[in-house]
Amino acid sequence: MATPPVSPGGGRRGGGRVPFYRNVKTLGVLAQVVFALAVAFAAGLVYHNVSTALARSHLPADFSFLGVRAGIPIAETPIHYTPSDSYARAFLIGVLNTLKVALVGVVLASLLGLAVGVMRLSANWLLRQLANLYVETIRNTPLAVQIVFWYTAILTPLPPRVLSAVRWPGGVLVSNQGVALPWPYPSPYFHAWIPYLVGALAVAAAVYLVWRRRLRRFDRPGNPLGPALLALAVVAAAGYFIVGRGGLPQGATTSFRQVSGVATAFVDANGDGTFQAGERTLPFTPLVARVPEGVLTTQTQDLSESRHVAYARFRFPPIRDGEYDKATVTFANPSEATGLAIHFLHDPYQGIVYRDANGNGRFDSGEELRQAGANPRGYAAQIRLKVEGFHRRLVTDRDGQARIPRFTSGAGGQSSGGGGANVSPAQLFAAPTSPKPESAAMAADFELQPARPVVLSHPSIPISTYFGGISLSTNYLALLLGLVIYTASFIAEIVRGGIQAVPLGQREAAKALGLSDLQTFRLVIFPQALRIILPPMISQYLNLTKNSSLAPLAAYVELFAITTIIASQTGASVPVTIMLIASYIVISLVFAFVLNIVNARLALVER
Amino acid sequence: MGAARKPPVAQRGALAWLRQNLFSSWGNAVASVLSAAVLATFGFELLRWVLLEAHWGPVWANLKLFAVYRYPPALLWRPFAGAALVMLLLGATAGVGERQGESIAGGVFWWFLGLTTLLTLIGILAWPVVRWGWLALTLAGVAGYVAGRLRPALVRALPWSWGASLIVIVVLLGGFGDGGAMRSVSTKEWGGFMLTLILSVVGIAISFPLGIALALGRRSDLPVIKAVCVGFIEVVRGAPLIMWLFIASLMVPLVLNVSPSAVGPLTRAMVAVTLFSSAYMAENVRGGLQAVPKGQYEAAQALGLSGWQRTRLIVLPQALRAVIPAIVGQAIALFKDTSLVFIVGLFDFFNVGNIVANQNESLLIPGGVRLELSLFMAVVYWFFAYRMSVASRQLERRLGVGER
Repeated sequence: MATPPVSPGGGRRGGGRVPFYRNVKTLGVLAQVVFALAVAFAAGLVYHNVSTALARSHLPADFSFLGVRAGIPIAETPIHYTPSDSYARAFLIGVLNTLKVALVGVVLASLLGLAVGVMRLSANWLLRQLANLYVETIRNTPLAVQIVFWYTAILTPLPPRVLSAVRWPGGVLVSNQGVALPWPYPSPYFHAWIPYLVGALAVAAAVYLVWRRRLRRFDRPGNPLGPALLALAVVAAAGYFIVGRGGLPQGATTSFRQVSGVATAFVDANGDGTFQAGERTLPFTPLVARVPEGVLTTQTQDLSESRHVAYARFRFPPIRDGEYDKATVTFANPSEATGLAIHFLHDPYQGIVYRDANGNGRFDSGEELRQAGANPRGYAAQIRLKVEGFHRRLVTDRDGQARIPRFTSGAGGQSSGGGGANVSPAQLFAAPTSPKPESAAMAADFELQPARPVVLSHPSIPISTYFGGISLSTNYLALLLGLVIYTASFIAEIVRGGIQAVPLGQREAAKALGLSDLQTFRLVIFPQALRIILPPMISQYLNLTKNSSLAPLAAYVELFAITTIIASQTGASVPVTIMLIASYIVISLVFAFVLNIVNARLALVER
Repeated sequence: MGAARKPPVAQRGALAWLRQNLFSSWGNAVASVLSAAVLATFGFELLRWVLLEAHWGPVWANLKLFAVYRYPPALLWRPFAGAALVMLLLGATAGVGERQGESIAGGVFWWFLGLTTLLTLIGILAWPVVRWGWLALTLAGVAGYVAGRLRPALVRALPWSWGASLIVIVVLLGGFGDGGAMRSVSTKEWGGFMLTLILSVVGIAISFPLGIALALGRRSDLPVIKAVCVGFIEVVRGAPLIMWLFIASLMVPLVLNVSPSAVGPLTRAMVAVTLFSSAYMAENVRGGLQAVPKGQYEAAQALGLSGWQRTRLIVLPQALRAVIPAIVGQAIALFKDTSLVFIVGLFDFFNVGNIVANQNESLLIPGGVRLELSLFMAVVYWFFAYRMSVASRQLERRLGVGER
């Protein structure tokens, strides 16, 4: 019995050909052609509209504006930049600033996220709840709110100027101009250490190879990387101490400009004792600055700090204990200061001028020089700080310069004003008189020190900016804090999920082998959890990098922020759009590339 | 006679719990004491600051700005009516759900009913202008809940009602005509938390069909369609929302070839938010599509269903059901991300905070009110996002995603 042919299409009658409008393949091609035409039509329409609109508005439509002088001041520039540089260079600064915040952020967020993730699985109930609280609060609040919180609510109300910076343990300076940290730099003597570093690498490579062979030969488990790194560290450290201190080049000297308080360390090629353009400077060289006797002058003012107003406060560049032999603070013009007294908040560089009404010689509340009504600006009294035996250890910056407070000799420093002996305080409200430039020469001595290959530069405050160390602006810190704390809450969840995903049997087996809790975690659980953790972790890194585009909220100038500035200055909408999309696509591709490598390395080798 | 044996260590009771959970070892004890100290110090300081030191005046004085920005005060009943409609539907959903022994919607409902009750009480005590509004919200919620409990058949009307309510609310807020109670209100007057909610809900609602289309396109066998969809999804997901908002504000007038003033910031933001959200939606839906077993496709084919029928009747219902938690997660993310619309010049909840911070009254307070504002905004965002994320986790557990 002949069965009629059954077709997959079901509706075919007889054995004839499928009509083209029912052929799946033809339909597919047709659909794609229609779709492609529609997309092309839409693209054409957009192109036509955009080009018409651009032609009408005379906005730049190509990238030629990139070579033009940008005139954008940027506070933080990892490489040299001035406002007279081009738009292209400004954009490059933005890219570098993105990298600066993203790379540091990724490292810190991983560490914090790992810690919180492990805390969430702790046997300790309270720790677990603490971690839980952190994750649930941070994850469910917008990042924008958090960045604004850090920037405007926490960092901006810090001591409002560098001169009143708070000193944290370890030589960290904190003010709302930023945080300055001690930082190591390669000194001019670094070159002497280089052979040892090369040697250390060679030894490490040798150790790695030998160790690996040994492990293979005896069929022992283990990672040769540990011994190799140890060898690297030992040889490098040994070299560091063998090299010791030394290595100031022939003719190294300093020249000092009293007006600016800047000393330049340089190699005096022509032997004239002063720094000439073209002579080699000595960056990151330690030196000791000595001023046998110097005078600083300042003026009191009312300061509104955080939520308090400080009346008639004066500040000098901070000089720490041990940096001077003797310091005396006086009114520059004692005749003006009848009945007034000085109270120190930080001896000797910060204080308040008050009226000692009860004559007990102490500053009591109610004795502030608070001026009600007529002149709210408070008292402006000149204060003199005479420092004897000032000495400070410094490290020159990348331009070979070192800064100290702008001491004057004090010889001509007596103010000429002050007629009568009994001047009422109200007369002190005259417009602030700027201290006259001192002409008399002041003795200052800068002694270059023999350097180790790496010098640790401590921050100090010579005038009204940080000098030395590394300073991080509040803009950078606010963005970094926001990104790190926000991303860490997601990473913590990934870490927790990854650790929980390791089968319980693994933990039990490790216990049965007699491993301690730490060993179980380090050798058994974590390596397996890492396989699950890493891929989503990398996408969190990408998120952190993308989220750094919230920088405008903290007035930090990175890729996105600089592009918005460029767009508003030039009106080059289309080129800017292309630049932005291209930048982020490149970033995403880099992360995708890394993710692929990681996935390939992590893939289980199945037998 | 031997010495009396010590009693066994308690296994139950508060002390035993403490010993097991806080003081099981020396390290644990130290950690407990330290974290208790941190919690106590931080909590005490926060409480002291909130109750004694903080200046809540500017926040309190600007609650209307925070809620609806410059929406005409005489027409405030319209946002309230919209919110009441939502509470009504939420109540009905919760009521129907609890009747059927299903508590996820109920959890969300009680959380928000608690909020409206609290606001009603505050309104009655200290907030005369809007007390009837809050009361109406609470009553609408209760009414919806009772109706849902009594009439479980309402469940069939709910999906459509939710969809329709979105349109009703947008019409209600926008209004029509020149005069009267329903006169039109320009979107320039929209803002505050109302705008935050509208942006996130409308963004999710429009991106839902777009996302499904993109996901299907990405899974398509047709290379051209697939390439376009993959390209769109990956490019959009590769860049942050704030960049798309910025680009939309630059490019939308150019693309439409109209003068920049012809396209309001809300339209520009809506375009960016929707396209951005649809790319993420597509990836979520794709996850659901991949979770549908191959046998389902084959069975549908064996039944003789056409490709379209197969997708519509067999694949999508299963796929979408599996990705509900992911979509809720995306809605939370979008809700938080709408804070970025400040870049196009919209005054959503977050950006109203910037206005308030720079008001004279705020600046006169030494140190400003940034801390108060940050805390207030964080709490409000958290209140919504946290409850939704709890609901998302419950949904996930109920659907058994990750257990199959």
